Amino acid sequence: MARRRTHEYVPLTAAAAALVLVATACGTGGGDGGEASDSLLVWIMQGTNPDETEFFEAANTAFTEETGIEVEVEFVPWQDAQNKISTAIAGGTVPDVAELGNTFTPGFADAGALHDLSGYGVDTSQYIPGLMEMGQIGGGVYGVPWYASIRSVVYRSDLFEEHGLEVPENWDELRETAVALSEAEEDMIALPVPGDAQYSVMPWIWGGGGEIAVEGSDGTWTSQIDSEGSRAGVEFFTDLALEHGTSTTGAVNWNEIAVMESFAEEEAAMAILGSANPKAVLEANPDLEGRIGSFTLPGRDGGYMPSFAGGSLLSVFEGTGDEEAAWQYVQHLTGDEFSTRWSEETGFFPGVSASVDEFSASADPVLEPFAVQLKEASRGVPVTPAWTQVEAEKVLVGMQQSILNGEATVDEATAEAADEVERILNGG
Amino acid sequence: MRRRRALLPWVLLAPALTVIGLLLLFPLGRIVWLSFREYELRNLVSGESDFIGFANYAALLTDPYLWRIAMVNTVVFAAVAVFTTIVVGTLVALLLATLRPVPRVIVVSCVMVAWAMPAVSGTYVWIWIFDVDNGVVAQALTSLGLLDPSGYNWFADRLFFYAVVTLNIVHGGFPFVAVTVLAGLLTVPKELHEAARIDGAGAWKRFWHVTFPVLRPVFAVVTVLSTIWDFKVFAQIYLMPGGDVGGSRMLNLGVWSYVRSFGHNDYGLGAAIAVLLTLLLLVITVFYLRALFREDGIG
Repeated sequence: MARRRTHEYVPLTAAAAALVLVATACGTGGGDGGEASDSLLVWIMQGTNPDETEFFEAANTAFTEETGIEVEVEFVPWQDAQNKISTAIAGGTVPDVAELGNTFTPGFADAGALHDLSGYGVDTSQYIPGLMEMGQIGGGVYGVPWYASIRSVVYRSDLFEEHGLEVPENWDELRETAVALSEAEEDMIALPVPGDAQYSVMPWIWGGGGEIAVEGSDGTWTSQIDSEGSRAGVEFFTDLALEHGTSTTGAVNWNEIAVMESFAEEEAAMAILGSANPKAVLEANPDLEGRIGSFTLPGRDGGYMPSFAGGSLLSVFEGTGDEEAAWQYVQHLTGDEFSTRWSEETGFFPGVSASVDEFSASADPVLEPFAVQLKEASRGVPVTPAWTQVEAEKVLVGMQQSILNGEATVDEATAEAADEVERILNGG
Repeated sequence: MRRRRALLPWVLLAPALTVIGLLLLFPLGRIVWLSFREYELRNLVSGESDFIGFANYAALLTDPYLWRIAMVNTVVFAAVAVFTTIVVGTLVALLLATLRPVPRVIVVSCVMVAWAMPAVSGTYVWIWIFDVDNGVVAQALTSLGLLDPSGYNWFADRLFFYAVVTLNIVHGGFPFVAVTVLAGLLTVPKELHEAARIDGAGAWKRFWHVTFPVLRPVFAVVTVLSTIWDFKVFAQIYLMPGGDVGGSRMLNLGVWSYVRSFGHNDYGLGAAIAVLLTLLLLVITVFYLRALFREDGIG
């Protein structure tokens, strides 16, 4: 039985090349043309509002009645957002309006993808400053704050009461409380120290007295992550896990969602959580109703420690031909009626400062310390287009994880992170 | 008449060639083109970019990260994973060949389930199995007293990290090998085995001197395909804890290319990494096929 020599006539190199090409090929999507000018395409991040479909049906119907312009909303998962937008830019299929995470905005604005809104007479002073500044690049306005969230500490008030613990007011008290909790509740995680949650690390850098990066008069950025103050803050936070056992080994791999889940599952007794999380926690575990409280992140020697104000801006894309209608839609969503409704449904703070008090007065009292945090001690990240690369390369995550894994000391890890941040921000 | 006959194959091939040209050659050409340009987010918007010669390649080849981390991870991992996949797949195929039809169908169906598992879900299952606090493995080891109750973060250890990736890849990759080799095994004439047995050959000798030579082309195909797949593993690494951290020691060329392109918005350099990966695969495949068929006296 002779085998057929099928490859006799095929040059080997060509066959190999074909094999490599076929096996490595990925599908590439084709681009669609632009949409008709009497309708708007809007991209919204998925999952912020549990009733998002209903919300946008109402908001869009109202907008269409008012202006006669149809609106189509597409929901985009957060983790795909940056790629999806980059791909849309490359393919010329950008939406008219998009919700952008505040840390994304400078990058896309600098690249020229976003429409400058300053010509429409935007009153930038009415918005939460930390959030607004992320939309202002070189005198232009490339997005307006839509909603905001801030990180503070959520704790189990029932356990605090049971063990006679008070809300801590400085770092030492926070550590004592965490240690006392971990001794009193042996099966619980007193205060998780997550490795994959950069916004839980930033407060300690600021709280110790450092800055992530400051811009010099010549435009070069200097990172202070390796300053004495930042190191003290990072060391305090990581020592909670390494020296005082208030966390768990697995928390090295946790992101903010994992921290929230551990709190919702009654594994963690305290946790650094975002202002929208308590609502989600109570939805996941209604048993916790009335058993949770929150406090503003305490400063080193009292007062408040700054925390990262996250949130989203609504931006209008450049070159769609519908910029004006798009801006109208942005005003519609950030206007009183729908921004209040959005906050009520999501638990996020409105992007307009004046509405923050109003909202927190009417909302769950657990949100009050968050409102204090937002107004008294909130920060943004360095406002520069290159910042998204620091986040995408997960520089702070790498730093935190190498300390928690015991691969580097605080001094080594912070020095390396500072170098990385400077390299990226200075265009290296 | 003769001319028309010469034209006919091309006419028949035209639709396929058009599709391949559009879906394969255009993106490939575009990647090569990109790798010679300074191309960032700004260029994506404006559509204009500058030719910078081999600057991306120079930056890439002088980056210690390539030589110390990405290349080592890619090559060593692929070698181990391909070898393990082929061995496990062949063993399963040999088992299947000895089974009667009904049990064979049952075992093949079970094997197919592993094959049908999407990479993303499969990866998450492995991550859960190895979860540092509550994973099956951690709990089993802890209750056996082999692991300290405070746990151990294996995802931070390069060797363990890639051990988990290898398990994941072998689990997803062996069914293809098993089924392909089984198809080959069924064509090996029984008389050859009988003759070898009469000559006193044991199981290993029968496999090595009878089965393997006959199935050499089959092994060539599964090895080359496995090599290609294992060189360009992406989801199974990117989704693991630490697999998406820019400076971590866990990235392979594929993930690094992605982080560079879409994290760093440096599409030029990302494209250069992709071209390097493709060239590497091309060279390995050519050498491998050549070596294999030269031994066989073909090609």
